[in-house]
Amino acid sequence: MSQNDKQGTGAPDTPSKNHGVLYIGMDLGTSRTSVSASNGVRETVYSVVGYPKDVVSKKLLKKDVLFGKEAIERRLSLKVYKPLEKGVLKYSGAGGMTDQEKDNLKAAQDLIGEAIRLARPRKDELVYCVIGAPAEASMKNKEAIIEAARAHVDSVMLCSEPFSVAYGLDWLEDVLVIDIGAGTTDLCRMHGTMPEDADQVMYEIAGDSVDAELSRLIRETCPGAQFSDVMVKDIKERYSFLGETGERVVVELPVNGKPTPFDLTDQIRKACSVLIDPIVEGISKLVATFDPEFQSRLKNRVLLAGGGSMIKGLDTAIEKAMRERLGGGKVIRIEEPIYGGSNGALKIAHDMPEEFWEKLK
Amino acid sequence: MGGFRESLKQAVRQIAFRTDLNSLKKQGIEQVSVLGMDRIVGLIEEAVHRSLKSRLVGLEREAVADATKAEFLRLLRTNQDLQREKSEVERLKERAEEEIDQLRRQLGADKQALEQRLQSDSLSSQARYEGENTRLVERVRELLSSAGPGAGAALQEQVLDLVFQTVDKERRSAEHARSALRDREVDNLQRRIEKLTSSLETTEHRLRQVAAMKNIDDGISSIYREVQGLNDGSEQFGKKKDLMSAIFAANLRLQKKTGSTNGN
Repeated sequence: MSQNDKQGTGAPDTPSKNHGVLYIGMDLGTSRTSVSASNGVRETVYSVVGYPKDVVSKKLLKKDVLFGKEAIERRLSLKVYKPLEKGVLKYSGAGGMTDQEKDNLKAAQDLIGEAIRLARPRKDELVYCVIGAPAEASMKNKEAIIEAARAHVDSVMLCSEPFSVAYGLDWLEDVLVIDIGAGTTDLCRMHGTMPEDADQVMYEIAGDSVDAELSRLIRETCPGAQFSDVMVKDIKERYSFLGETGERVVVELPVNGKPTPFDLTDQIRKACSVLIDPIVEGISKLVATFDPEFQSRLKNRVLLAGGGSMIKGLDTAIEKAMRERLGGGKVIRIEEPIYGGSNGALKIAHDMPEEFWEKLK
Repeated sequence: MGGFRESLKQAVRQIAFRTDLNSLKKQGIEQVSVLGMDRIVGLIEEAVHRSLKSRLVGLEREAVADATKAEFLRLLRTNQDLQREKSEVERLKERAEEEIDQLRRQLGADKQALEQRLQSDSLSSQARYEGENTRLVERVRELLSSAGPGAGAALQEQVLDLVFQTVDKERRSAEHARSALRDREVDNLQRRIEKLTSSLETTEHRLRQVAAMKNIDDGISSIYREVQGLNDGSEQFGKKKDLMSAIFAANLRLQKKTGSTNGN
């Protein structure tokens, strides 16, 4: 417990304050945006923003902007934006932005505002926020995120997403974090200091690639089956696995309007396996360029995080591939894949000294 | 202590959400583990006591425990106030919705009455005139035929023309009087509809305001009263301090750049 915390307990000589300090950790992801806050709130929202297409839909929806699941469900009446792609904002920041870039930037700003609103900050509290941004985000991209957040908080900082996951678990040395998002899979090795470019590898093969592969396989092997991207994503989130499974995965898909059962066990397994090669390649690269004395330790401290880490059996499949290519290794899946990044960002916010926050106000 | 336990129970009940077995099944949950309220409250108490015991000693522990209880009760009171405000807002919303429903019904009925009135007036005038004309023609023909065969067809037409002229004149003046009366009625109905429409708009606006009020969220208090910062005694303090400095330096560079870009 820190000095300040002790003061805050209401000891007799400490004047009580009406307002406090709310820390928010945010994981801004391609698929989901999650927040963890020091008031106990933890929320996640799909990174989807929708604006009513016309006056009629605006009147019907009674809202100017919809987010997450609600936006997905009402997508037919909305202009829908997914403001992040491959882990970064769809915004180059270069002069002469296109209308689409402008719209995406606005959607990203609204999404960040919504994420902060979900943390339910009190009006009378200082709000300090740390946002986990993709390591590969451009300077303009980071500036856009900062600008969007500033409208809602008193002070804001960005940090690398995989770093925040490791920091949240107090694993700061000789750890290799694999953060599987929707757009990118980021690998980052930690060695007690801030990770540099050489410590990070990014692949554009991630959750969306699994969806695309699953769609392709269903199209190939299930004649007449009708499905949308949203349906494929649902199937993946519910049944994804690697390795052996006890039960067959049978999913109903419409064929000429009639729900028809299809056994998708093999298709799902095959689609999920697209992640293995790039992950093991990234691990090999980061291990091989690490201090030889600590390579073995690094291999045995691989942390699996992000939404993609929820694929059943993924840790075992990576370990198996590591045995074949690197002679062994141990993969640990973090307990809360959805909130791993935001929990870590929250911890960074908590540990950041007051003078640093003040200087960034 | 008993009161505190009860408050803790209430708090757990308030933050718990209700669901049914079908919803759980839809989420793919087949089995659930059930934990009793007393057990949950016991666990919370035990966790707090153990945590305090391991980190604090003597008087300090007592002070922290008292302050924590006070803070908990404050939060509980805040929550109760919010619940009360929420119920009040919901009541206002319901009342406004009822008013709108009533106004809509009344407006609908008045509009229908106006239309019926206008329609029936026009139809009944037409029917009445046709009836009167037929009767007049019959009576003039009877009169002329009783005057004998000498009366010619030309005379019959002249008489009829004269009669119709006179009758038309009379009718116009009667119609004028009737329409003045009807216009007053229609005008009243139209004014009434206008007023109801305006009332409906006002009530709908109020409903939107109430709905917006419902969305006003006072938020949830942070557990921290002050900015925290890294604790000297924390694990890997030196490393974490360096990392915090590095994150800050990178952000300072970024935000200075952002500031200068905006300044341009």
